[in-house]
Amino acid sequence: MTKILKVKFPDRCNGCEMCVLEVQRQLQKVGLEGSLIRIFADRGENNETSFTIELDPRITNMNIQKIKDICPQDVYEITEEENAGLIK
Amino acid sequence: MQDLSNKKILYIDLKTQSYEVKNHPGLHKYIGGTGMGLKLLQQNIKEDPLVFAIGPLNGFFPFCSKTAVVLDDSGVTEDLYIGGRLSTRLRFTGVDALVITGESENPVTLAINNNEVDFKTIDVDKDSLGLPGKRAVLERNNINVYLDDYFFTPEDILKDKFDKKKLSSIVITGTEIFKPKRFDNYISLYQQILKRVDDMTITKGKNPSCSSCPMGCERSKFGEMGGNVLLHSLVACQFAERIYSDVGVVFSCLNVLGYDYTHEDIEALPHLIENTLKELS
Repeated sequence: MTKILKVKFPDRCNGCEMCVLEVQRQLQKVGLEGSLIRIFADRGENNETSFTIELDPRITNMNIQKIKDICPQDVYEITEEENAGLIK
Repeated sequence: MQDLSNKKILYIDLKTQSYEVKNHPGLHKYIGGTGMGLKLLQQNIKEDPLVFAIGPLNGFFPFCSKTAVVLDDSGVTEDLYIGGRLSTRLRFTGVDALVITGESENPVTLAINNNEVDFKTIDVDKDSLGLPGKRAVLERNNINVYLDDYFFTPEDILKDKFDKKKLSSIVITGTEIFKPKRFDNYISLYQQILKRVDDMTITKGKNPSCSSCPMGCERSKFGEMGGNVLLHSLVACQFAERIYSDVGVVFSCLNVLGYDYTHEDIEALPHLIENTLKELS
């Protein structure tokens, strides 16, 4: 079984980028370039600011529990899947 | 790793549509943000500069999420602070401050990518500038100057300066990578500070948050004006005052990143700022 990080509540994202920077620290760097998580600011319904989260599949190789825990809005969940990432 | 003893300043001249990056070892003692911003204002006052300055902790530590905006407003020196993603984007351009001088002949959009600046007309598609996810957009709309359509600064001071300079918008993209000198110690200190949420003097909310701050507070969108000079030279949020007005904490943060500041340098900052303000008046 492989543990997978998933965006469970995308609407909760407040754009703080704590997860983006956590991934980078795990990769021993500080910055945005090459991050396995990217967050885009958008204009949502009613012209309100909203955010879109993009996860690189390689995120599975990171300490995903730490990434989940650092999110102040509990956006993420960790699930377990058999043969995750393998093309059958 | 960048030479942290040199402050790197990006000068943009709107009149000649030219730019230049300069290293300023002499600005090191002004630490950053307000301290450095006021000195840059004083040094360039004849060119009516609009200064955006970050501090040494922006992009590295939680709750250090603001950018100092320093300018002259009809003879009055003003320091404003804006949240959002600007401070991290500026950090990752690799420059410590932007100094925008002169006035453009026609309304202009600035596209800043790390150390390079493109001067664009206002009808340019702003979504085509910079890199999504790595940029911040400051834009004069029909109400005020907004950062990423949400964050702004108090009063009309920044808006008036944008209008005077015929500055329509600034799109800033930063792709530089840093590796703090003592990385393990840096991570440990980062985690210690992050745990101090209870020391924040604002409650957590569900609003769009500043980059590198988990609070999502209701006040972040309004920005700040004036306040604690050490805090605003770092440039931390005013609601993190209990954390970053502690010289010991600040010194540890600076030290772990590889800055060579001493306690005395930090303690001397208010005096330096006072002198700069006297020179400005």
